[in-house]
Amino acid sequence: MKKIFMFITFLLTLASITYSQLNVVTTYPYIADIVQRVGKEKVQVTALARGDYNPHVIVPKPSYIAKLRKADLLIINGAQLEIGWLPPILKQANNGTIQPGEKGFLDLASRVHLIEVPKNVSREMGDVHPEGNPHFCLSPDNIPVIATAIAQKLSELDPANASAYEANKTAFLKLWEQKASQWQKAMEPLKGTKVIEYHKIFDYFIQHFGLSLAGTVEPLPGIPPTTKHVAEVEQTITRDRIRFILQDVYNPKDASQYLAQRTGAKLLVLPHDVGAVKEAADIIALFDEIVRRITQ
Amino acid sequence: MKKIKSLLIVFISIITSAYGQDQTAEPQFQTSSPFNQAKFVPDISFITDFSFVSRDIDNELYSQLHIPGFMHHSENGEHEGFNSKKGFNLNYGELTLYSIVDPYFDLFAVLHVAQEHAGLEEVYFTTRKLPYGFQLKAGKFLSSFGRINEQHAHYLDFAERPLVLTSFFGDEGLNELGVRLTWIAPTDFYLMLGAEVLTGENEASFGKAGFADPSGIVNIHAIENPSLIVGYAKSSFDIREAAILIGASVAQGTTRRDENFSSSDGNGEALDASTTIFGADLTVKYTPDAIRILTFQSEYLYRTTNGHSYLRDTLAVTKSSFDQNQSGFYAQLVAKTGLRWRLGLRYDLLQLNDIKSGGVLGALPKNLPRYSAMLEYSPTEFSRFRLQLTHDKTKYFHTDDGILHNKPYTEILLQCTIGIGAHGAHSF
Repeated sequence: MKKIFMFITFLLTLASITYSQLNVVTTYPYIADIVQRVGKEKVQVTALARGDYNPHVIVPKPSYIAKLRKADLLIINGAQLEIGWLPPILKQANNGTIQPGEKGFLDLASRVHLIEVPKNVSREMGDVHPEGNPHFCLSPDNIPVIATAIAQKLSELDPANASAYEANKTAFLKLWEQKASQWQKAMEPLKGTKVIEYHKIFDYFIQHFGLSLAGTVEPLPGIPPTTKHVAEVEQTITRDRIRFILQDVYNPKDASQYLAQRTGAKLLVLPHDVGAVKEAADIIALFDEIVRRITQ
Repeated sequence: MKKIKSLLIVFISIITSAYGQDQTAEPQFQTSSPFNQAKFVPDISFITDFSFVSRDIDNELYSQLHIPGFMHHSENGEHEGFNSKKGFNLNYGELTLYSIVDPYFDLFAVLHVAQEHAGLEEVYFTTRKLPYGFQLKAGKFLSSFGRINEQHAHYLDFAERPLVLTSFFGDEGLNELGVRLTWIAPTDFYLMLGAEVLTGENEASFGKAGFADPSGIVNIHAIENPSLIVGYAKSSFDIREAAILIGASVAQGTTRRDENFSSSDGNGEALDASTTIFGADLTVKYTPDAIRILTFQSEYLYRTTNGHSYLRDTLAVTKSSFDQNQSGFYAQLVAKTGLRWRLGLRYDLLQLNDIKSGGVLGALPKNLPRYSAMLEYSPTEFSRFRLQLTHDKTKYFHTDDGILHNKPYTEILLQCTIGIGAHGAHSF
């Protein structure tokens, strides 16, 4: 009898826990992983996009609308990374609490320092982001800022668990600090190394670890490589004896492969988000894997 | 004394720091007026579409073509639709304005600009934060009936709308003044229910004008209240990387047609009926990797019209029962094969074409097909070039002695769609 009673109590607590969980939707998997680390069992988190697809051009599936409809909180990367796919489904979700400007909306780009903010913008320049480079999650310095913003937002929406969020965040930041110094140490010998990248997606990583960017395989952001431009990049690689070509997982690799073959530079396919490659299973593994692929 | 001194220091340091700030901090944006409202300018975009058409029949014959029972040809050469002339065509310019109005509403306006005239294609507001998953839309807008009706011309996968849609809703689609309420269910899968109350004036299916013969025997009054009701349910789920969207729609309204009936000379015809259109749609979008997208899309529409037709000749007015059952569908497959390339195939079919007047079934052609294939090259999302090949076997014309002839034709067109400004992303 007592056992049954205990079991029922257990079920009830379980039910109340699941019921009181904050329903968080994020646009990209890296945000979901940080939310999971800060929110632990107090939140239920879903990422809309896949980590191995082009973050600029996600197909806005109606199933995302269903997820947004039930969300208490929507966290986006911002800086116009989602502009090509999120606005219509957010509008169609008929959920007033997660619209921009509302309490249940968090734009991470507003919390970090963006680099490469263009003085002028024109579509002549290709797919430029007027607010700056949106791929800021690839600087280890920005992750604690993001985690803090998330902890604040979770506490604001769910004050009863504020101390738990704060504690989880502190523990995560401590772990992060340890990992960051490991990555720093591993990357130290590569300081000053010149690299080429396909798309301007690894700029924050490059800047943080003191690498230097000598050019991109794309002639302009979002414009596929032309023969003329690839020939120019080839010259740059040979002239400056560039060692690495950094390539994301989703863009065509033929131009980078061609350059690697012609010049002897090493083509490194790097993950840009959690889930971009199998090894990058979470935010720590993402950086582990980038560092491993560059340094090995 | 010491206190006064320290207070003085603080005071001085505040003044100097304020002064210093004044010296160094230059405003980042110097505007010409303190009342400048540049930051509140709505998103403005302009999209234009032109084409080059090559066709194996001449323009005059083309303008006389129609589909018996489905589509009438234009009497005066107006409203001929896009790409109607051989050679160059300027199809449209589309000016779109969008902005958040205030915390409660969004406003959206689309101005359709043709060479000679301009009009408001759509203008509506939507609510931003109705509770429980509701959203209200009011104004003039393209109905969300089915799948393709609410899409703007520049977003279509082929140069023109599917045949069954232009046959049942006209070239401009089901686009009416009214209100729409949608509800998204709080379920794990996508479920949307929606209802619209619309004016009910559509060139191809719905009307509300009155008519009367000159002698006054028949006098059908105009309907002044909204007379068209549309409802739909749409649902979607994912199977791995394939998103499947299904929908069922219904539109019910009155139909009025007055072809010279109210006039005093010659013979005339009129129709007073009620029309229901049923629609079913299926879309499967498969994204096997980050670049390629394969989309299958199909819609089936069935139209039933029941009422009375009035025939007026020099002697009398004859009233007879009128019953019409028509159906059609399209199925298309579009593949995005690379960053800039898409190719697609579409099959259009007008199936049923049964029109009974006074219980007698008219001899109208049925099972009329049209085939289209297209290849698209988009340097960026703001420019697109499309080559389309169409073979149309649905069109008929009357010879001078009044005999109905089928006239299949083939058409090749190169279409160019270019857009500038801030244009919102498209939905699924």
